[in-house]
Order: sequence, then structure tokens, then C-alpha cells
Amino acid sequence: MKIWYEKEGRDEDVVLSTKACIVRNIKGYNFPSKMDEKDANSLLKKVDSVIDRNVFSGGMATDIISSGDTATLMKAQVSGRDGSLLFAPDRKAIYYTEDYSLSIAVGNSEHLTIKAQAAGHDISIYRRAEKAAVELEKKLDIAYSEKYGFLTSSVKLTGTGLKILYTVAIPAIAKTEGGIAALRQRVGQYEWTIYPFAEQGELNESSVYIIASVSTLGVSEEEILARGEMLIEDVIKAERACREQLATKKKTQMQDLYGRAYGLMRFATLMSRREALDSICWLRLFRDYDDSCEFDCKWKMLNMITQEVCWEQQRRGEINTQTAQKQRAERIRKILKGDD
Amino acid sequence: MRCERCGVELTNKIIKINDVPYCENCARLMGYGKFLRNPEEMLGSAFSPFDEIASTIMQMSDLDFGNSALSCPKCGMTLRDFEKKGRLGCIECYNTFNDYIVKEMFKQQGVSTYGGRMPGRTAELPGLEKIDAPSAKKEDINLETETADKPEEPVAQKEPEAPAAEEGGAELLAKLAKADLGMLSDEELENGIKLAAANEDYILASKLRDELKGRKEGN
Repeated sequence: MKIWYEKEGRDEDVVLSTKACIVRNIKGYNFPSKMDEKDANSLLKKVDSVIDRNVFSGGMATDIISSGDTATLMKAQVSGRDGSLLFAPDRKAIYYTEDYSLSIAVGNSEHLTIKAQAAGHDISIYRRAEKAAVELEKKLDIAYSEKYGFLTSSVKLTGTGLKILYTVAIPAIAKTEGGIAALRQRVGQYEWTIYPFAEQGELNESSVYIIASVSTLGVSEEEILARGEMLIEDVIKAERACREQLATKKKTQMQDLYGRAYGLMRFATLMSRREALDSICWLRLFRDYDDSCEFDCKWKMLNMITQEVCWEQQRRGEINTQTAQKQRAERIRKILKGDD
Repeated sequence: MRCERCGVELTNKIIKINDVPYCENCARLMGYGKFLRNPEEMLGSAFSPFDEIASTIMQMSDLDFGNSALSCPKCGMTLRDFEKKGRLGCIECYNTFNDYIVKEMFKQQGVSTYGGRMPGRTAELPGLEKIDAPSAKKEDINLETETADKPEEPVAQKEPEAPAAEEGGAELLAKLAKADLGMLSDEELENGIKLAAANEDYILASKLRDELKGRKEGN
């Protein structure tokens, strides 16, 4: 079974993934930060008893760790970017579908975090997250107030408890002077937010950004989704327009950089994360304008590489830098060769 | 560092409210504009700086709710902990710290009222199919098609379908209201004016008209 991001997605030249996260808490228990061990165990058992085992596998985080499935969970973007869902594993559980596109985390910062994710631009994943949430709401006594909606530990989530996130690769906007500033302004108009995938370190110039909803109060789920869709369509159009500009105005330089980037990714033996993401930027920028047809470089391949490089597990101290770079380069070559 | 409310990168001016960083614009939108006077404004009157400082100190102390020893009887969470971590300890905290939570909600989201679905029920998303269907590869907003389709609807069928048609128009108007007018073509502006006028949204219609007029005069 393929991981969700290995599947085809709409508008995948710009949108890497669409995610919907819904958080819920159960009455009768303190929020996780104030929960004692007894309550934490009781919560895990209670949730486990209502999980549909025909749909979800997984379970206690301790069992997941001992089964050695942590790298896959990380790669599939289920356990958090830093694997935080697996910290304090005796108080947590993770349930996930076969392709990891739908997951339920128990005992993280809120009692329940339901996450649905899909490749490309696909807001229908909201329905998947909602369906899982509604089923749990029917079976569990969920903390809800008519005044504030769903009650959460973080006041930022009180209300719908819903966040929609689009992960976008926008190298052309990033390389256009004032592009990101203009985009920030536009995103702000929709009362959403945009931030880079990483602000520091090797990935800070990856041109991968996350566009996320902010409001959970005063808006319905419908409004959140509708605003997000209008916004993401604007972003897609803007990125494509910027790519067109770059590709037509600087065709020769772009073609050269495209070819070099492909060669590097296809044949390098060692590859740092920064180098990999920088090369992907050039491939992304010129892929649709390359009329030589010499390179087999599908969007799905580029997105898989981007997702894997961005979300790869940092095994500090376990392997040295050269080994990590070698493994990364091998993995990229494999994807570009179409062996994956 | 980024603004907690809008996510904009903070460069020159960082405004911290209860240790949470905001940009100047958001701080003003959240009602803290009175604390953000320019020095020149204060220098206008010889005694005004003292008044301003005194009133600011008074109002700032009103904001510093972390001094309170209030704590939740159920989980023991104190107001200071909440202020520091931004997280509550249990559902009872919502009753204990109600006033402060509402303040926090206003600061972060500008509202404190709920507008979402009820537990165990699905959200009403009549637009989901609509949202899901169009690809951004297709033409942006085809005003011509949407407005031209309306009169063609047979009167007999119009009644049951009326809400959907209204929603489509309303959605399109909402899009136009938020759109960067500079990105719209003259034709789209003209059609937008007609649509806005038909829906009695005269403010939007005049905005679109002004944009179109400005372009024509510019030419």
C-alpha cells in the first residue's frame, strides 16, 4: 500500500499536500498537561475501546516504538515533524489507516488530534477528518460549550478546533522580488497565515511554505474551507504566473540550471538536504517549460523527494553526515529512476 | 520572530502583549492602538507626555492579569501558568478564568463567539462539491458564464434551485469583495459591477466602477 503522498494529487506542481486537523477533548479528564498517570491510562483505554479496528491500526506509542515503525510514521507525517507524538510514549497512542492518510493521536497536547492528509490540492480530506471526528463525538462525551464550541487546552483552537493546512512549493514567488511579502499580505486578507516550512537550518531556503487557517471562533467550518480554497487558488495562479515570467524572460539560464539540477539529483553520490531542495526548486521552476523532453521528471517524483527530504527522520548520533547524505542521494536516484 | 496573529515576520517593530509578539497592525486591530502613539503625537502638547505615560501605566496594569493568584479548583492551574504557557489545565478552567480567556480570544481572533457545528453532526458544506470541483488550471472567475446562466434557468425549476443560485452569486460577490481588483480584467470588472448592482451591493459596485474608471482615465 502506498503512503498517501505517493499518490497523484491535483495542482501538484504547487501544492504538496492538504491537511485537515481537528482536536477534541473528553469530559471528565484534565487536559494532557495536567493529567496524572492514572487518568492518562484511563483515557487511552477509553479511546482504544471506541476505535474502529477495521479502519485503523496502531495503538499505544510504546508498542509502535518497539515495533520499529517510527521512521515510517515520521515520513508519513503522522508523528509530528520532530517525532513529538512519540515523546512520553506511555501516555500516548496513535491510530492510523493503511496509507497513513487518516490518523488519530491520543494524549498529545489535546486528548484527540484527528488528522487527514492528501497529496496535492484536495479539500475533500476535511470530510474524512470530520467523519472520524463525528464518530468519536457520538461515542465519547466530548467537551463542548454552546458559547465557545469545542473546548481545548490551547485557547487558539477553542471553537471549531479545526486547522486546514496547505503545504506549497513556491520557488517562483520566493525568487520574485517582493513576492513573499505580497503573498503574506494576500494571505492576511483571508485571515490565514503563511510561514516557511523551516525558518532556520538546512531547510530555511527550501521555498516550501505552509499556508494555514487561523480562526476557530466566529467562523463556521464552511467559511474556513471556502476562504482556504479561494486563497489557495490565488496562490497557485500567482506561482504559475511567476514561473511563466521566469521561464520566458530567462529561458537559457533557467534551462541550464534545470539540466544541472537534474544531473546532480540523478547522479550524485552524496547529497545534503539543502542541495536536494535547491535542486528541486530549479526542476520545479522549469519542468513545464522544458521542451527537450530529455528528462523524465514527473511532478509526483519531485513531490515525493521534497516530502521525504523535508520530513526525513533526523537520527542524530546514529549515523554520520556522509552516510546520511549517501542514503539520501540513493533514495533520490531511486525515485527519479522510477524504481519507487 | 513572527506575529502570533497574522504570521508576518517581525523586523523593526515588535509589540509584545503578555510576552506574545505581535506586529503593529495586529496590535492596533486588537485594540491596543492607544498604547502605540508616535512620539511626535505626544510632543504636541507640553503636558501630554505625562498624561499619556500615567494613563498607559494604568491601562497596562489592567492587562497584566498574571499577577492574580486565581487558580482553578479542579486542576490547580494558576492564571500565571495560563499566561505563561497559553494552555488551560481542564474544562473547569474555562469557568475559573472566563474573563481572561475571553480577553485572550479577542486578542488572538478578534471574537469569542462560536460559529461552527455541533458535536456528532456534520458541518453544512453545500459548497464542498463546488469547492472540490474546479481546478485552478481552469479560468479564474468566469463572470460571464455565471451571470449569463441565471436568466436561462426555467422559471419552473428556478424555485427549488433558488438557494443554490443565490449562494453562487453571494459567493462570487464575496470573492470579488476580497479580490485584488488590479488582478481583474476590464471585462470581469464590468460584469462584476452588473452582478453587484443586481444584488444591491452598491458599495462593491462603486468600488469596481472606480477601479474601471481609474483604468480608463489612466489610458
